[in-house]
Amino acid sequence: MKVIRGAVDEMWSVMEQMVGSIFRHGLPLTDKIAARTALTNFVLHIHPVRVRRSWIRMSYTLCLGGLSFFLFIVLTVTGLYLMFYYVPSINHAYQDMRDLQFVVTFGGLIRNMHRWAAHAMVITVWLHMARVFLTGSYKKPREFNWGVGTLLLLITLLLSFTGYLLPWDQLSIWAVTVGTNMAKYAPIAGPYTRYLMLGGHAVGDATLLRFYVMHVVGLPLIGFLLMVVHFWRVRKDGFSGGL
Amino acid sequence: MATEARDRIAARDRVEARRRQVDAPSTLRDDSDDEMIVSFPEFVFKEFIAMVAMTVFLVLVSIFLQAPLLGQANPGVTPNPSKAPWYFLGLQELLSRFPPLMAGVAFPTFVIVLMILVPFLDRNPSRRPSERKVAIILFALYMAIVVALVIIGTFFRGHEFIWNWSWVLGNPQTCGGKSC
Ligand code: HEM
Repeated sequence: MKVIRGAVDEMWSVMEQMVGSIFRHGLPLTDKIAARTALTNFVLHIHPVRVRRSWIRMSYTLCLGGLSFFLFIVLTVTGLYLMFYYVPSINHAYQDMRDLQFVVTFGGLIRNMHRWAAHAMVITVWLHMARVFLTGSYKKPREFNWGVGTLLLLITLLLSFTGYLLPWDQLSIWAVTVGTNMAKYAPIAGPYTRYLMLGGHAVGDATLLRFYVMHVVGLPLIGFLLMVVHFWRVRKDGFSGGL
Repeated sequence: MATEARDRIAARDRVEARRRQVDAPSTLRDDSDDEMIVSFPEFVFKEFIAMVAMTVFLVLVSIFLQAPLLGQANPGVTPNPSKAPWYFLGLQELLSRFPPLMAGVAFPTFVIVLMILVPFLDRNPSRRPSERKVAIILFALYMAIVVALVIIGTFFRGHEFIWNWSWVLGNPQTCGGKSC
């Protein structure tokens, strides 16, 4: 009996040690514990530990920057799932989309979430920009972060646009044809730019591969790095706080 | 009080004062009297709620609203009208009205550069809406134009991208004369 009790105690303390190694400070019952938790936690280190109450009123940011970032994460996760089933070639892409829709477990749901989250992100980023403008938060010392934000808006639009081609249905190739046609009007560089984007003179296999590579690696990587800088600057410039 | 603690507090006050000089132009509301709180868990909890709400919203929309998937791409059959994704419809709308060099290249480039330059062009140091009437009116105008162009492009452009009221009622898109 004693041996069993001892073994259970031992197991319990190992488990406590495991949990304790992840959550080092217990429940945040006092400000001191809470502060220490926030200070030493990787996920939470993105916030300042201490803030003025007026800075974190939801009526000020409407959470729009945070939601844009959250949607980016949702898009990354759902996008990974789609990548398991999608082959970026004109012989497979469309059939893969149909399989996702009708055959793959949760394929339709995940595809829908990816699509609607992309539209939502264009809207939240746009509204976040409006919030920053209307509260004058781009003024000194935040000029630079406004510029980083502008680039993030462009990346968001380009991510949506490159994703638009991937289902390889009538909607996608003609939307992309119309979109890339705009590029060719630039003086001198125009036709070359368009050729570079399409990998040819018309939307085809090469275009699909280029858009896919930019959509799943190139643009998300640039976007992620810009976000890291963006968040860093929000912290270092000091959040603009209430009006 | 122990001198050590007093030194520490004095040093912190000096840093605070310097920060205030650098970071906080006089236009900032003086918030030094606001209560200081610990961001965790209250703030984190608010963010958590926002994320859960967004997730629930996305899942519900995705259950009931099917993302479009038309027939397989066919380079030989052009749908009429051919439209860019909605967030580029403003541009497409401009293209249908102005010379392409202007609408497709000069104008977007101008807007992007202008946007990056906004903090340097706006010389008014105030952040109070009541003291920034011009900036706010200009921005509202910009937003209104963008939204109007996107709505026109989405709902009021039918065959050949020609103005068409009946598009609202569902004027079907055709592919080579047949429905897509
Ligand atoms: C992918 C897109 C973006 C993400 C994920 C993002 C995220 C964020 C977050 C989380 C904040 C903290 C405050 C808040 O939530 O409002 C913030 C602040 C800020 N953002 Fe963005 N942002 C994006 C795009 C933009 C754009 C398009 C602009 C403007 C052109 C912009 C300009 C700023 C500025 C100036 C601040 C500091 C605001 C302040 O201190 O009040 N951001 N951003």
